[in-house]
Amino acid sequence: MLTLVIRRLLAGVVVLWGAATLIFLIVRVAPGDPATVLLGPDAEPAQMAALRTRLGLDRPILLQYGDYLGRTLHLDFGDSYRLATSAMDAVVSRLPATVDLTLTSAVISVLAGLLLGSAAGIRAGSGQDRIVTTLTIVLQSFPTFWIGIMLILVFALGLRLLPTSGAQSLSSLVLPAVTLSFPFTAIVARVARSGIAEAMAEPYVQTALSKGLTPREVLTGHVLRNALIPVTTVVGLQIGALLGGAVVVENVFAWPGLGTLVVESVGNRDYAVVQAATLTIAAIIVLLNLLADLLYAQLDPRIRAAS
Amino acid sequence: MSITPCLRAAGLLTIALALSACSIGSGGGAGRNAAGQAIVASGTFVIDNIDPGSAQGGSAGKELAGQQIYGRLAKPDASGKLVPDLAEAWKPSADARSWDFTLRGGLKFSDGSPLTAEDVVASFDRLIQINGPYAANYKGVTAKAGSDTTVTFTSPAPDPALPGKLTTLFVLPSGVPADAASYFAKPVASGPFMVESFKPSAELKMVPNPNYWGGAPTVKSLTIRSIPDVAAKLAALRTGEVDVVWGVPDDQIPALRSDASLKVEAVPSNGNFTMWFNSGTPALKEAKVRRALWQAVDFGTIIKQLYPVTGQPADSPLAPTVFGYAPQTPIAYDPGAAKKALEEAGYPFDKPLRLQFGQAQFKPFLQAVVSSWAKIGVRADLLQKEQAVFIEDLLAMKWDVNFQLLGTAGYDAATNLGRLYPCAAKRTGYCNPDLDELLAKAGSATDQDERKGLYAQASRIIWDDAVGMFPMTSKVSYVWNENVSGFTLDALGYPDFSKATGSGN
Amino acid sequence: MTVVPAFLSGLVAARRARRRSGLVPAVVIGLYLLVAVAGPLLISYDPVRTPLEDRLLSPGAVTSSGGTAPLGTDALGRDVFAQVVYGARTSVLIGLTTVTVCLLVGVAIGCVAGYYRGWVDSVLTRLVDILQAFPGILLAIVIAGVFTPSLWVIILALSVTGWISFARVARSVVLSVRERYWVDAARLLGVRPRRLLGRHIMPFTVGPLVAMATLEFALVVLAEAGLSFLGIGLPASSVSWGQTVANGKEYLNSAWWISAAPGLALSVLVISVGLLGDTLTARYGRARSR
Repeated sequence: MLTLVIRRLLAGVVVLWGAATLIFLIVRVAPGDPATVLLGPDAEPAQMAALRTRLGLDRPILLQYGDYLGRTLHLDFGDSYRLATSAMDAVVSRLPATVDLTLTSAVISVLAGLLLGSAAGIRAGSGQDRIVTTLTIVLQSFPTFWIGIMLILVFALGLRLLPTSGAQSLSSLVLPAVTLSFPFTAIVARVARSGIAEAMAEPYVQTALSKGLTPREVLTGHVLRNALIPVTTVVGLQIGALLGGAVVVENVFAWPGLGTLVVESVGNRDYAVVQAATLTIAAIIVLLNLLADLLYAQLDPRIRAAS
Repeated sequence: MSITPCLRAAGLLTIALALSACSIGSGGGAGRNAAGQAIVASGTFVIDNIDPGSAQGGSAGKELAGQQIYGRLAKPDASGKLVPDLAEAWKPSADARSWDFTLRGGLKFSDGSPLTAEDVVASFDRLIQINGPYAANYKGVTAKAGSDTTVTFTSPAPDPALPGKLTTLFVLPSGVPADAASYFAKPVASGPFMVESFKPSAELKMVPNPNYWGGAPTVKSLTIRSIPDVAAKLAALRTGEVDVVWGVPDDQIPALRSDASLKVEAVPSNGNFTMWFNSGTPALKEAKVRRALWQAVDFGTIIKQLYPVTGQPADSPLAPTVFGYAPQTPIAYDPGAAKKALEEAGYPFDKPLRLQFGQAQFKPFLQAVVSSWAKIGVRADLLQKEQAVFIEDLLAMKWDVNFQLLGTAGYDAATNLGRLYPCAAKRTGYCNPDLDELLAKAGSATDQDERKGLYAQASRIIWDDAVGMFPMTSKVSYVWNENVSGFTLDALGYPDFSKATGSGN
Repeated sequence: MTVVPAFLSGLVAARRARRRSGLVPAVVIGLYLLVAVAGPLLISYDPVRTPLEDRLLSPGAVTSSGGTAPLGTDALGRDVFAQVVYGARTSVLIGLTTVTVCLLVGVAIGCVAGYYRGWVDSVLTRLVDILQAFPGILLAIVIAGVFTPSLWVIILALSVTGWISFARVARSVVLSVRERYWVDAARLLGVRPRRLLGRHIMPFTVGPLVAMATLEFALVVLAEAGLSFLGIGLPASSVSWGQTVANGKEYLNSAWWISAAPGLALSVLVISVGLLGDTLTARYGRARSR
């Protein structure tokens, strides 16, 4: 188990190094000079040169890269060109909002997904199963930005039940979280369905059923607990998709999270913040994937033995 | 007001795999006091940075924050006229090479220490040392304290517009280093308010400065919150979370007007929609062609439809509130005559014009302009550029038509006409020795009436030669809850809250 | 007892539906393709023309030129229905191009990785790990956001992660096929690796790849609309569903149709593609590896 952990950790470090390099390259290849944005059209050439020196933009690219990697190791991405804070502080100040959104959405998705998955898996192959499967495809196909807008239209503007956007109260979390949970619910439902369908075919379940327990009793008593293992894993593995979806949903609802920060910073050529934010997201994803892997290995003796 | 704490209380984080450790909230919960009198405002500018000298962050946000926190020598009133702030009087030397400012007596910073001429000089030197966007306004200018209450600014050439330019000099105590990000978490104030807390690009919360020379503001606190989404901003206004908003799009205003508890007003800004033609483009070399292109656009209808509240047809390159403004003969919409003129001039109809702009909010307006041109067969590609690329291409003249909402710093034609239209400025591809001479003369003349006349002549050349199209003077729309009053409806979107009062909700 | 017959007929319908399950979505997708190809020939729409006097008309209203706007008009007086039709062309074009690019790149990389294995495979696997450390849309936002908007930039941005699933499918098929005896036989007979891959191995990848391509098309169309919604990627002059939805966001209170109509068109297309992809996946297996 320990070797497995170490191996995975090393792989994670390599992936993060690659991710850091990739982002560095994209940002450097891009047209547009941050010094121009900061100084505006009236700047003198000497002034521009001075600022470029101060920002370190005039050094050879390899040197910039080396310096960047070194500082990244210390979680130092430098100062934001735009905000009066370090890039990492800007990210940290936006992180809680995104975490709130994704976690709430994950909770909704897991509950709704388990419900749908159970309904389908308990009678695999039935019409009910068919309907749920189709429903999961539909849920996964809706563009989240549009669903968000339609929810605003109905629940905020039409029924006036919830706020349209912003992050002023707990109720303003409802619509974005529900919107974000649409595709994720579908994924959880699919995984739960196959897990439950598999378990329902197991001899012990058949025995329980033949003893006269109703399918529902069997489900809650035995099957659901086993189906939770793949669901937990998929939550870990799909958190990246959820964070990606959050980028768009945050925009629709003016939710002040990491996604909005990335979109703003890309537009402003705020290299430091783009790097800090994308790498933070990458690190979260790598870490959660790692945990999901290890959890799975822990739960599945075959993998444990193999390592 | 982060909702993080509420959520945590709700126990939702219990399922948080590893993320729970990442939920770094700022205590928060410091909501509005039940007693009211706490004003929350949300404008158009995002406050990224409150260091007035810094190059970092948008200048408009720094300006808005700076006006609340720091004093200046002089400031423009709502009509653009300079009025005393920290200085009670100022006068030029005979040749306008130097300006003497006399400070009010007994000025104090928010920490109780005295504010003297030395602090003004130090703030100015800091601005020059940082070499940010404002430093270019003061080429070769030096500041010197004569006594505790007098400061003299000396420039190498006569500079009658210097007091106007100095409205961007915010006064800090001497000794603040150039690179002092941590200092600006809670800077010492010289204006009406002191910083209570600051979250860049999100929220700036301030409380009254007891040592403000004009008397401490009576509101309990002033919060300037950034809400980029229009729908969210207006929703917050309706629920009372926000008391004052400005920069509301025209299409939203009818619905707000019908709300009895809200007040709506639009005030003229000092900015004009400015659409330069690149006179260096062969097709746009002749004034006749440029005028014809202007004539071909139905600006009257476009403004009436898209900016019924905040639009006002312009009649000069400068807005009416700017010193040096002189009305010109309007250019009437006449597509027939325009087409004829273009055909006579041999205009290349097959070659599209590159129309560049930066901010998305102006896209509909420009689409309508392109549509007008299309009617007479003139093609144009609308190119929205991200800020850095926009500025680079603007300076490199990689455009045929350029759109900007151009304000006039210091409300003085010197910072607009004088800065942008001489041949040496290389901004429009237009070069006219007569105009150069007029602008040079206006830049150094000391007699205000003479300057005014010279700028009127310059405006006329710019307008008649259609160096650009100047279709519209824009207004700033303010909407506020009726229980708030006493703040200024500032023409630039920098309202002054020092005299504001709120009666609570 | 009316419940039993109702239940029975439902069961029968479900069974019948299963048999035809690929049909309805295929017909819907065909319709979209038809609209994308022929629609612009039948309905004239000039995104440049902005009849301001017709702005924000509700669905079914008569315009100043005497025509009817079946889905209303937007804030510049342009017909929303025409935007839906022209948007179909943009979406289908970007979707097909991107999927083709991803397919070619992905299959090439996947086959190479699966056939040669060893360090080539490890390096490519690592590269995929790195790319997948980012949510796909985030990488697309950063790439499309920093370059000058154009059709190619958006195709590039969407392809950067899009090839991965094809490479996976191709690699796994190749890995399993290359061990079969006839492949060994061909190798012993001196057939060159490239020919071996092309002639003897690739044909086995077709089925799963078609299913994969269908699902990928849905994802690409969704992602393109998402980027356009954020105002990233496509130039201002193009007509795209995402852009139209975004344009209407400010007018939800007064003119909901601007956002509603193109989003609905987009949803129906993606749902149909998803259903078809599901049927194909059931037939060819494997593809759902993500």
